[in-house]
Parts: sequence; structure tokens; C-alpha cells
Amino acid sequence: MNLKNIRALCVGASLSVLAACASTQPAQDQTDFDPIEPVNRVVHNVNGAVDFLILYPAAMWYGDIAPQPVKNSVRSFANNLGEPINAINALFQGDPDQAAASFQRFIVNSTIGLLGFNDVATEFGIPYRDEDFGQTLGHYGVGAGPYIVLPLFGPSNLRDTTGMVTDYLMNPFTYGADNSDKVAAAYYGGTVAGAVDFRYRNNDNLEQLKQTSLDYYAALRSLYRQHRNSVIRNGGPVMNDGQNNAMNASFDFDDQDAPAGDK
Amino acid sequence: MKHIHGRFLIAGLMMASAGVAIPFGQGAVAATHTAGPQQVKEIAAAQNPSDFIRSLGDEAISELAGKKIDDNDRKERFVNLMDKYFKMDQVARFVLGRYWRSLSDQELANFADLLQKYLALNYASKFKDFDGEKFVVGDYTENNKDIFVNSQVIRPDGPPVKIVWRLREFDGNLRIIDVTIEGISMGITQRDEFASVIQNNGGKVQALTDMLKQKIGEN
Repeated sequence: MNLKNIRALCVGASLSVLAACASTQPAQDQTDFDPIEPVNRVVHNVNGAVDFLILYPAAMWYGDIAPQPVKNSVRSFANNLGEPINAINALFQGDPDQAAASFQRFIVNSTIGLLGFNDVATEFGIPYRDEDFGQTLGHYGVGAGPYIVLPLFGPSNLRDTTGMVTDYLMNPFTYGADNSDKVAAAYYGGTVAGAVDFRYRNNDNLEQLKQTSLDYYAALRSLYRQHRNSVIRNGGPVMNDGQNNAMNASFDFDDQDAPAGDK
Repeated sequence: MKHIHGRFLIAGLMMASAGVAIPFGQGAVAATHTAGPQQVKEIAAAQNPSDFIRSLGDEAISELAGKKIDDNDRKERFVNLMDKYFKMDQVARFVLGRYWRSLSDQELANFADLLQKYLALNYASKFKDFDGEKFVVGDYTENNKDIFVNSQVIRPDGPPVKIVWRLREFDGNLRIIDVTIEGISMGITQRDEFASVIQNNGGKVQALTDMLKQKIGEN
């Protein structure tokens, strides 16, 4: 059995997991589940060191030398590489309109947008939306599972790690890269450049969070969980279901016991 | 390996601080003016939740935005705005999770003060670089006893940032008890982080308050 067969098998396996776990409500995890916290904290610290030594300097250098139009092109190019996967996952989530939008973006940006370097689709009124297999699983009610800090990639969980591997295996570029050095260079190079661009754009917020948080690890863990909940419901509010309601789940006190003020 | 860029140090977490990052823009000024007459009419009756948030936006811009303001002044004004618009003891109890019950009334009040200063430290400076953004308040929805006001910060570059304000009525007055930016709740984020700090210090809230004091420079 060669590598490609194994890959295909993995995709099939993931899809059957999806079918098996299907439920009617999207997953909205309300608490952190972190059974391997000591290990995660070690990886978190190693990632911090790698960031400090490599990614942060690279991002600052990039920030200095690349003019804004170049930065926008880097982001567009990296985003464009993800569009086939965005389309596939939108389809999995039963959203053919969004799948078509991602597909249109890919076609338009790859042609008129000159190989994805220009995001003309957004100007045409088709905004970018990230859809990954972790979100697809979440959409069908698969919970996050244990929190995992991945080496280099950072915060994740069992569901989203599974999703990331599945996306990699489903991505047409993965197979294109096997057969062409040029595709490989564009795919992997674009992805790394996208990471540097992302790090640069978020530098101020990231540095401030590091500086002001009392427990940076715990803050990231909470932000990651909430962010994933949000993208799983595509940014929409969840207002009508008690159990699954991100808005409802908290801020309730037994007012009888309230020690101060507001009875 | 798709979207390392989207995953690398996670997308949304930045939005968390990013969102608050976004200062209130001039849109709110305009919005408040148009809402003016209506507001006057409703003063006797219950206040309109959207107007409540509009007036917060209005005040925040005029008091916090711009580079000319001294950082300490800005923090102080931020605290004053929170006093006026937020229900801090409710927020304080929420972010302490189950630990709030171990505190006396006085300790809780002290903690609320400390929390306010800490939030000012985190968020007040975000208003410094306000430039060209617009704060637009939308409609509101009610769910159980709370009211959720939708708003957006329209940026000159990049997609708008969604902010949802969670209000509750206390003795007939609306007060904010949480702010959610692009799906990231300020209250939940602080609660999760504080819980971790308390747990790692043998369940002592004192450890948390010590750290907070250190951050805001009261030690």
C-alpha cells in the first residue's frame, strides 16, 4: 500500500467518524477540558520560545520590508490556497451557497486575481470565510474533546487536530505538490508566508495579551475555545436553545444568595 | 497543513483583544444625534437599550479617543465610564466563578474595584489609536432576563467587527454585564483565566488579587 492509498483511507475514516457522530445541534463547548495540562504547558512554552526566536523576528522583518500592497497580496495568496478546502467543508456542512462562494472566489482570484495574489472576489462582494474540517465536525455536534497545544501550530483540541489532518489529506494542493515542485513551492511557501503575515498583523494584540494577562496559557485556552465556538456557528448568535446557548450559559446567580447589591 | 496561517497562534484570540482594540468611531456621534428626540421622549419610560449603548459610544469617543490624552487620565476616565454603564459587582462575581461565595461583601467590593482598574489597564489604551473607525449600534434582542444589543465597528480596511453588549435591568436601570467581541466574551475570558490562577494557587482568591494588584501597580 502506498502513501496515497493510506491518505485516501484516512479521509474515508474521518468521514465515517463524521457520519457516526452526527447530531442536530452544533457543538458549543462551555468549559475548558484540559486533562494533559502539564504537557500542554510545556509545549506552550516551547512554542513561545520558537516564536520569540523565529516567527516574531521574521514577522517584524516582514513588517519592515514589505509595503502594504505586498502584505495584502501575501494574505490573499495564502487565503486562496485554502479556498478548495473552504468549499469542500461548506458543502459537508450542508451549505452549498457558501461552497459556491468559496469556489467562485478561488476561480476569480486565481484568474483575474493573478494566481491569488489579489483578492478581487472580496471587491466583487464575495467575502472570505474560513471553513475547516474541525468546524464541519463541530457543526454536526462533535465536541472539542481534550485541549491540545500542538508543537508549532499552537492551540487546538482533539477534534480540530483531527480536522487539520483531514483537511491536509483532502486538499488537492497536497497531491499537486507531490507531482510538481512548483506547486509544492507555492503551497508550502504560501502557507509559511501566510503564517508570518498573520503573526505580523496580530502582533500588537498578541504582545498586549502576553503582557497584561495573569496566566497567558489559560487566556489563550479560553480564547481558542470561544473562537472555535464562534466560527462553528459562523459568527451567528445562538439565542434560542438553552443548553447550547453561548449567551445563556453564564451570568446567572442565585440572587437570593447575592452578598452585595442587586437583589 | 491547510491554513497554518489561520491556526498558527489562532485567529480569534487576537480578535479578543483586537476587538476591544477597536475604539468607538464617529458613527456613534451621528447615530446619537438622530436618536436624540426619541431618547428624550423615553426618559420617563424604560430606556431604549440601543440608545443606552449609543450614548456609551458617544461618551467613549469624546473622552477616550485620541493620542492627546495622557494614559493615566484615559484609564481613570475608562473606570468612570464603567462605573456609569457597567454593573461591576455582578461582573466581579461572574469572573470569580464559584469562588465569589468565599468572599465577604467588603472583599467583593474591593475585588470589583481592582477588576475595574485591571480592565482599564487592558482596554483603555485601545482607544488611543482610534482613527477612521465608525461605531454603529443596531437592534437588540431579549433572551430570558437579559437584553443583547448588537453593534459593529466599521473599519476603513478589513471586515467590520461585531460587538454584542449584554444588558440587565437593575432597579429599573439598564447596566452592562458583558461585552462579546466576535464571539469572544470578556467575562468568560476573564473567568477562565482567573479560575486557572486560583486553582494553581491552592484555591486562594488572595493569590489572584495579589497578582491583579501587581499588574495595576498597586504593590
